[in-house]
Amino acid sequence: MSKITASLPVSATLLATTLVAGVVPATIIGSETQAHAQEIVLTGPLKGAPPVIRLRQYREGRLEIAPQFAFTLLDEYQHSYFIGGRINYYFTDWLAFGLWGGAFLNSNTDLTSQIDNIAPRDLLDQSNVAPCVPTDAKTTAGAGCTGGPGSHPTFSDQTATLSWAAMGQFTAVPFRGKLALFQALFVDTEAYIFLGAGVVGLNERVSCGDTGQPSCNDVASFALGSQVKFVPTFGIGLTFFLNDIVNIGVEYRALPFSWNRGGFDSRGLGPNNNFPDGKVNGDDETFKFNQVIGISVGVMLGKRKTSQ
Amino acid sequence: MKQAQWLLFAAALALVPSTALAQKKKPPTGGGGTTAPTGGAGGGGQTIDLDNPQGTQPQPQPDQTQPQPNAGGTGGGICEIDPSACPKQADIGEAAKKEYKKEIYAVEQIYVLRYHRVELTPYWGFTLNDQFVSHGGPGLNANFYITNVFAIGLNGNFYSGLNSDSDFNFQTRRATRVAVPLTEYSWSAALNFTYVPVYGKFAGFGSFIFSYDLYATGGVGAISTRPIPVIDPDNRKFDFDPKVCFNLGVGLRIFVTRWLAITGEIRDYIYPEKLESLTIANGPIGQPSDPNSPSNPKTWVQDGVDITNNFQANVGLSFFLPFSFEYRLPK
Repeated sequence: MSKITASLPVSATLLATTLVAGVVPATIIGSETQAHAQEIVLTGPLKGAPPVIRLRQYREGRLEIAPQFAFTLLDEYQHSYFIGGRINYYFTDWLAFGLWGGAFLNSNTDLTSQIDNIAPRDLLDQSNVAPCVPTDAKTTAGAGCTGGPGSHPTFSDQTATLSWAAMGQFTAVPFRGKLALFQALFVDTEAYIFLGAGVVGLNERVSCGDTGQPSCNDVASFALGSQVKFVPTFGIGLTFFLNDIVNIGVEYRALPFSWNRGGFDSRGLGPNNNFPDGKVNGDDETFKFNQVIGISVGVMLGKRKTSQ
Repeated sequence: MKQAQWLLFAAALALVPSTALAQKKKPPTGGGGTTAPTGGAGGGGQTIDLDNPQGTQPQPQPDQTQPQPNAGGTGGGICEIDPSACPKQADIGEAAKKEYKKEIYAVEQIYVLRYHRVELTPYWGFTLNDQFVSHGGPGLNANFYITNVFAIGLNGNFYSGLNSDSDFNFQTRRATRVAVPLTEYSWSAALNFTYVPVYGKFAGFGSFIFSYDLYATGGVGAISTRPIPVIDPDNRKFDFDPKVCFNLGVGLRIFVTRWLAITGEIRDYIYPEKLESLTIANGPIGQPSDPNSPSNPKTWVQDGVDITNNFQANVGLSFFLPFSFEYRLPK
């Protein structure tokens, strides 16, 4: 005891004893059986409620397979039509990683047909416009080229075409809501953005005019060769959910990259390389902000969830 | 001192409540969504409902288990308080004959009412389908909403000096010696009708909500265009010439406030175009009266007309006037 007294004054001991003797009964009497950590409601009954209650979460933990048809905008020498689709896995209801890809079909624009029909084939443009060798008796070259069967190569044979594409992309779904059509039909609608990169396969006029290559006047130089371009991609889209499984989508996609769409020798010499140099190569590629509009039908695999 | 330690330990135990809860809010009592304040000290936290005037407390609900006086449909309480106000069978019959508003909006209390408001939309237009010449420029839509979903209005575009001849034209001309007839625009104006069949709201990032609508528009007016001389620029000088022009479009408005929206639309301007002739008359130069002279303006354009579609994307801001409005019905 003396030891304790030495370390704790008597007055302090008395104080502690008094406090304990007084506080314990008071606490036992006055304390509640529950402790409340309650939010104070400052306004009406919806204060503090989430913006959307019991939100239909179409995406979280689900796999989307969406076949797509698309077409390019502002075409110069070839129209391109895309048949493919996308596969997305949604880690959350607003973020996914997926693949987009497919094949392109191409057709001549009116400009390509006009060039084939009326371009004069002579010394001035012999390296830029296919000579249109007539191999069919019914086809005559004359001042131009009919572009008919057996009359190849034509100008359309030298114009570049998109062949296929494969992209990896992240998709974010920041906006969602519903759409009232004629105040009667309701469709759950989501707006999304995506960003990614990948490869585009295309057919472009083969290089010519350099050492070991055919002359750019040679018929063989108007053939197309396969190329692969590394390309960024981004865009926006809308998804309309018909039910828990099926949706319809519309999207805009950009695929910006440089390519030689006409197969021309247009650059490589003079100030800023703005003049023809007698060769067709990478210098003749020009930047194009390729744009694609797509329509898809998506199928969501997995069970749809509902938020709290 | 050991005794004191035990006493402190016992006190601490006594201070610990029997259960510790991070408790959710108690569900509001009463059916109106209001929460009655709990009067006891520490009895569950205080609820302050600013929707109720201060000092007015929710009245206690009548005990539903107790039989209600005159609950048999003979008038109820009002008949006891004021017999003259007690509804009679004839009154009920008259009330049943009254016409009622059958229309029930699918989305109640639309965020923005357009009825009898003026919408002004300055925008910038971008060409979507002309790879040869882009016709960008400013424009203005002015609409007056006759009903909440139908408007009549004017639309104008200003292109003069803003047409941009693509480098692609030059490359094609130089490489193939084939020239594409080009056209530039000066202005366009149209009388339009607008219909808003679709509206709704979006939740953004799960944290805010905004309203939008989709509209269809169409009209008729004029567009002033002229060919850009590329076949024979030495002899040909074209003047702008107005042509009748139809337009059809769809648009999306995202409302920032009840009077301000961000607007995007795609509109197709359809008109008959006179294109530059691809051939040059081989008569004497400098004799405009000679029908075979390259100086004769009649030889400058092709026969017939080409129906041209100018798809244009417009991005702008919509201002609704007056800025405020009143709902006809309460929430």
